[in-house]
Amino acid sequence: MAQIEKIHAPGFWASVINTFSLFLRMGKKSRRTKVFFAISLLPVIIAAIVKLNHVFSSGGGREGIYIFSNIIMAFYLQFLILVLALFFGTSICSEELEGKTLTYLTTRPVPKSAIMLGKYAAYTLLIVFMVVLGVTLSFVLLNMNRLLDFSLYPIFFRDLGVLTLGMICYTAFFAFLGTFLKKSVLFGLLFSFGWENVIQYFPGTTQKFTIVHYLKSLLPGPSTGGFSFLLFRLEPSPTGVSIFMLLLITAVFLSLACLFFSKKEYILD
Amino acid sequence: MNTVIETDKLSKWYGNVLGLSDVSLKIKPGITGILGPNGAGKSTFLKLITGQIKPNIGTVRLLGQKIRNNYCLMSKIGFCPEQDAFFDEMTGWEFVTGLLKLNGMSNDEVRSRAKDSLEIVELINDKDRVIRSYSRGMRQRLKIAQAIAHKPEIIILDEPLNGLDPLGRRKIIRLIKEYKTEGKTIIISSHVLPEIEAITKKIILIHQGKIFAQGDIHYIRDLIESHPHMISINCSDPRKLAAKFIHKDFVLNVNFGTSQDSLLVETNNRDKFFGLLPSLFVEEKIDVFSITSPDDNLQAVFDYLIGS
Amino acid sequence: MSIKEQGYTHWDGELAPGRFPWKPITRYGIKLTFKRKFFKPFFFMTLLPAVVFLAGIFISERIQDFEFMIKGSSTPFTVNPGYFYTYFTSVLFMIVLILVFAGSGLISDDLKHNALQLYFSRPLKKKDFFTGKVAVIVFFLFIITLVPGLILFIMKLVFSGSFQFVRSFPWLPLSIIGFSVFITGFFACYALFLSALSKNRRYVSIMIFGLYIFSDILFGIFYGIFRKPYFCLLSIKANLQQVGKLIFSQKPLYDVSPWYSILVLCLFCFLAVLFLSHKVRGVEIVK
Repeated sequence: MAQIEKIHAPGFWASVINTFSLFLRMGKKSRRTKVFFAISLLPVIIAAIVKLNHVFSSGGGREGIYIFSNIIMAFYLQFLILVLALFFGTSICSEELEGKTLTYLTTRPVPKSAIMLGKYAAYTLLIVFMVVLGVTLSFVLLNMNRLLDFSLYPIFFRDLGVLTLGMICYTAFFAFLGTFLKKSVLFGLLFSFGWENVIQYFPGTTQKFTIVHYLKSLLPGPSTGGFSFLLFRLEPSPTGVSIFMLLLITAVFLSLACLFFSKKEYILD
Repeated sequence: MNTVIETDKLSKWYGNVLGLSDVSLKIKPGITGILGPNGAGKSTFLKLITGQIKPNIGTVRLLGQKIRNNYCLMSKIGFCPEQDAFFDEMTGWEFVTGLLKLNGMSNDEVRSRAKDSLEIVELINDKDRVIRSYSRGMRQRLKIAQAIAHKPEIIILDEPLNGLDPLGRRKIIRLIKEYKTEGKTIIISSHVLPEIEAITKKIILIHQGKIFAQGDIHYIRDLIESHPHMISINCSDPRKLAAKFIHKDFVLNVNFGTSQDSLLVETNNRDKFFGLLPSLFVEEKIDVFSITSPDDNLQAVFDYLIGS
Repeated sequence: MSIKEQGYTHWDGELAPGRFPWKPITRYGIKLTFKRKFFKPFFFMTLLPAVVFLAGIFISERIQDFEFMIKGSSTPFTVNPGYFYTYFTSVLFMIVLILVFAGSGLISDDLKHNALQLYFSRPLKKKDFFTGKVAVIVFFLFIITLVPGLILFIMKLVFSGSFQFVRSFPWLPLSIIGFSVFITGFFACYALFLSALSKNRRYVSIMIFGLYIFSDILFGIFYGIFRKPYFCLLSIKANLQQVGKLIFSQKPLYDVSPWYSILVLCLFCFLAVLFLSHKVRGVEIVK
């Protein structure tokens, strides 16, 4: 049998970066990204309508920052980042299986875990960009008359940080679901709009079994406004613990996703 | 010559379905054709030797190393899958360069190799079109381009000639033959026998997950002793020659062809038959125009082996 | 023995289309859905509300035996058209989940595998194609709307042992049928429309679920800000609830005429049908 000289293959992180740049480029071009991008800008339209109403009703109604923190944020936190993370997270593995393109990646000198991490990073960056843009535009629209009020910016950056952490964490979880479940979307939907929505209101430590609990713990407690039901019965964890838990959940599910993706045999029929 | 790919008792099954059974092979540089009908296990074999799926039993070694989870080895392999699957929203150029980048090449190298490979498969003028808009033949050529772009030592092509027009087919066959002269190892699968026959004499016949035969096409043909050989003779007096054959126990059947000078003899011992033939021509003073063996081709061998 | 002339015989018969050319599409669609992983237990789960409501009817007829359970309840436990309305609106969410299973791939899979030309190379009209696909959704949705609705009605009569209930609400069976047909018709258009939007089944699944939730959230947001009930017209769920209230002769949920909801939903269906007839064709044009 022929013995070969030492084989040169790119290093692990170089492979991650190569995969990342390939899928970031591909993701940017894809039609579904454009559709989701348009959807992620819907809150901007809502913000514009609210602002116009505010202008035409000569300053009546709630303040811009209140609408931003309680309505726009709730929309992103409880709906949009879940949908985006679910689609892009499960796509990491599922789209390769459905499109039967996995072969092209697994017959390259790239570790499978690098493929997973590279795609995860690319897709997370894409959705973070979508959300950050939408949130920023909404914030600017709603607070147009107070943009020089620097007391608003900590709220803005805090909310942006919470959403970003949420996307990082949810995408990792859904990436994991996608690696080992054929019906990952269905279970993802049940998790997002069933488990996350219901368990977060359970008392005691039960609510700590949801990701949204830690995200909401990073936001201020329930306000007395009309939207306080969203934070109903939240027993928040400390900020440090919440951030640590979110990062831990991300690390655990991402590691599991890498492990499953590397070890599991995918049969493309 | 060194063995490049070695499999030992390789077996794979999908639930109750047998994909491949007890395949032990040694493949050396040059072109090896994997032949078998649809569902015979060709693709399973190729997926196993490229480490995409793991065997239930047995081992695969490429260049002396185990293949499964040995991603470094992939830089030596170029694989063209059977399925017509692509990242459809990419252009041909992005597809080839994107995959080349995964091989860890510099940008300049990626560009020059992508250009070379697209030129070879004659897609350079269509490189900026989205793959979605490619014809079937173009897609097939693009798959080959990505498999050869990084200049691998081992090229594995799963049904590469599918969907190609005769001209494209001829070009790819010529390309594959060129790679042989460069000392590369090429494994090509097909269910179309003349395709393989035009490329190589070194074949492996797979059917129902088992290797039926391997080696040179003629060698395989000789292995099939149970099946009679057909020999067609064109000569000046076929009836006289037939009368001489009728008494021989190794001659099973004698037929006269449609033309006046042809004779078709069926024998179960080719050596004895050809040992006798020259002396008969001389003794009986028969002029011989041609001797051919109509069933000494891949199709016939294949039909005999699978019993159809 | 008669000697038959060998040769080509011209057939003089008339080429008549089959009576139900769409039937194989439906049969195949239903079969395929049942083959999907986890579908059977899930489908069984969607029938649980019907069992709960059936138990409710039983309890209503034996109210004296269950007094200890409903002690303190200010309103007496009665089965009336509102009860049936509640059943229908309680399964709306289940219907959406069923659509994720049964409806998402109906057209998207055909688009993905370029199968439309296979359909239309047979004696099958566009109308038959759509009928076949719609019938798959009708089959599943009728099992969780119409069938339980009528069974609940019949069981109410059986448990009560009299026809008093029919005499009080003679139109109720028609309401059950009418609302079931309306819900099913709307969701058939909804699912087929979204299924024709993409070749990717996963994407369609998320759209089916997401749009339903999103429309409701949108209503919540605008209603929260502007306090105008007309924003209920943005929500699929609220519109269906409004229509249900009208069909079951109940007071509308929001202070808006339910006819607007009917109009909105019918307009959606009309646009969906227009889109579908444009999108589904034998030859795909690649731009």
